[in-house]
Amino acid sequence: MTPTALRTAGRTAGRLGRAGAVLLLVTVTALSLPHLMPGSPALAALGPTATPEQVTAYEAKLGLDENVFAATWRWLGDALHGDLGHSLSTGVAVTTELADRIPVTLELFVAAQVVALGLALPVALRSAWRPGGAVDRIATAGAFVWLAVPGFVLGLLLIWITAVQLRILPATGWTPFTEDPLENLRHLVLPALTLGLTEAAVFTRTLRSQLIDTLDQTYISAARSRGMGTARLLLRRTLRPSSLPLVTLIGIGVGTSLGGSVLVESLFAVPGVGMLVSGAINGRDFPVVQGVVVVSAVAVVAATFAVDVLYRTIDPRIADERR
Amino acid sequence: MSAAETVPVPAAVPREAAAGRRRPSTGVLIAGGWLAIVALAALVLPLLPGFDPLHGDFGNPAAAPGPGHWLGTDAGGRDVFQRTVAGARASFAVAGLTITVGMLGGGTLGIAAGWFRGPVDKVIGFAADLLMSVPTLILVMIVVSLRGPSLPVIGILIGLFTVPAFTRVVRAVVLSLSEQGFVQAARMIGTAPLRILVREVVPHVAPIALTFAFTATTVAIVAEGSLSFLGFGLRPPEPSWGGIIAEGRTTLGSAPWISLAPAAVLCLTVLALNYLGDKLRSKGGRG
Repeated sequence: MTPTALRTAGRTAGRLGRAGAVLLLVTVTALSLPHLMPGSPALAALGPTATPEQVTAYEAKLGLDENVFAATWRWLGDALHGDLGHSLSTGVAVTTELADRIPVTLELFVAAQVVALGLALPVALRSAWRPGGAVDRIATAGAFVWLAVPGFVLGLLLIWITAVQLRILPATGWTPFTEDPLENLRHLVLPALTLGLTEAAVFTRTLRSQLIDTLDQTYISAARSRGMGTARLLLRRTLRPSSLPLVTLIGIGVGTSLGGSVLVESLFAVPGVGMLVSGAINGRDFPVVQGVVVVSAVAVVAATFAVDVLYRTIDPRIADERR
Repeated sequence: MSAAETVPVPAAVPREAAAGRRRPSTGVLIAGGWLAIVALAALVLPLLPGFDPLHGDFGNPAAAPGPGHWLGTDAGGRDVFQRTVAGARASFAVAGLTITVGMLGGGTLGIAAGWFRGPVDKVIGFAADLLMSVPTLILVMIVVSLRGPSLPVIGILIGLFTVPAFTRVVRAVVLSLSEQGFVQAARMIGTAPLRILVREVVPHVAPIALTFAFTATTVAIVAEGSLSFLGFGLRPPEPSWGGIIAEGRTTLGSAPWISLAPAAVLCLTVLALNYLGDKLRSKGGRG
């Protein structure tokens, strides 16, 4: 192996180790959650009439009868065999619950990205082309004001306008895509707009400033003086190197959007992972909560890796010495 | 986090130049004025007789805004304006705790990471990574559901999650400060490291802390609102902004002001805080 390849391999191994450590600690934290509860979780769940046998069985189910590290070890072992335990309230396997809910949240996430990018790309390109121009000033001020509107207020406003005043879209509920694609899309619009419009403001801001920096580069002036057309110049030469921070933002969004999806799914009654976890938290359904926390940490770690790989694909100039 | 992640520290502005500064712009005056009005209302109005955000005027439920009830009444006949004012108290109390926790935690960790570097920096960076890879809102919901939705629990939890971001900014500033001439000079003449830290480094971190306070306040207001909305915030009937807005969503069709009036106040406050924070940042402090 060449020295560079060796260094790359070493660095990748280091990152993997770090990611593994993060996941391990998240698992330990998730499994120690029942211990945070004052008093006995078993008695709280089963009521004061529970027999000692019932309490012991309950504690064994949650791994409360052993220390957190032993419980983590066992949980991870089971997880590797595809077993994340069973819901305390429904008895359904946590993996089944997740398999039902993840596609819905994923659909919402993708739709939100489409909304955000669909708005941010043209607006940022137009703004950066003439910084300080009318479009730029309106867009910048608009994004600034927009960012002051929290997700739950935006969702409420959207419901008020489209469902209460105009009566053109359903305010709440969900139809699976496989059942009725058109109904599915109608139910998707408001939650996707709520998540996507806020993101659009962040995307626009970041992309705009990065585009302005790129347009200042000498190779852009060179291309322009050679007579390259505006569209080609912007789309082929400017957008690609400028999209790196955007990729980071989308990567970070994988983590934050799970929090956002809790809010949006509860607001619009969408049966995704967010609704699953808020119900589980309310019902003290620890196995489900633990499953969601660990799976979402895996998603965050995986997204971070994906961003790293994408960086190199988008901009080969980035050598491994970046960090 | 890496050593390359430093930011240049602008040279200190000479005092004379700062003294001859321009008057604050109209935008700053409007934003500051709005915040002053909200803060003053939250502090003073509850002292007046007749102020009772929990009192229900049952003969007058869901009344439209008008004289008597400036922002109307909610489904229980309670005055929406008074509830919004009382809600400001709750939101700012949460923000106060958030700022305290974030500043103490992030300030200490950031200075430690930037000053000692090496293993200390690595450990702190790892802890920040860890905190950032769990879904914040979900973790706060879990702890609130287990420990009860009290104001201290909510404020401290939200504060905890602002720590990584503030740590990162402070660390970057401290890292570049320690390369600066005046710190090197202090080291050269044999000043004790602790004295350099207190006398030379900490004063430069203070302006960033101020911008952080603005950001943390908006984070706290929005996070508390989101939690209330999900039913994990301060318990009704005690009003908080998020709580009032959430309560009004069932009557959005017939009495939209119950939700939308406090929502407008919340958005304007966040906007004013963002604006002032932004102005402050561009004047030198980052955060």
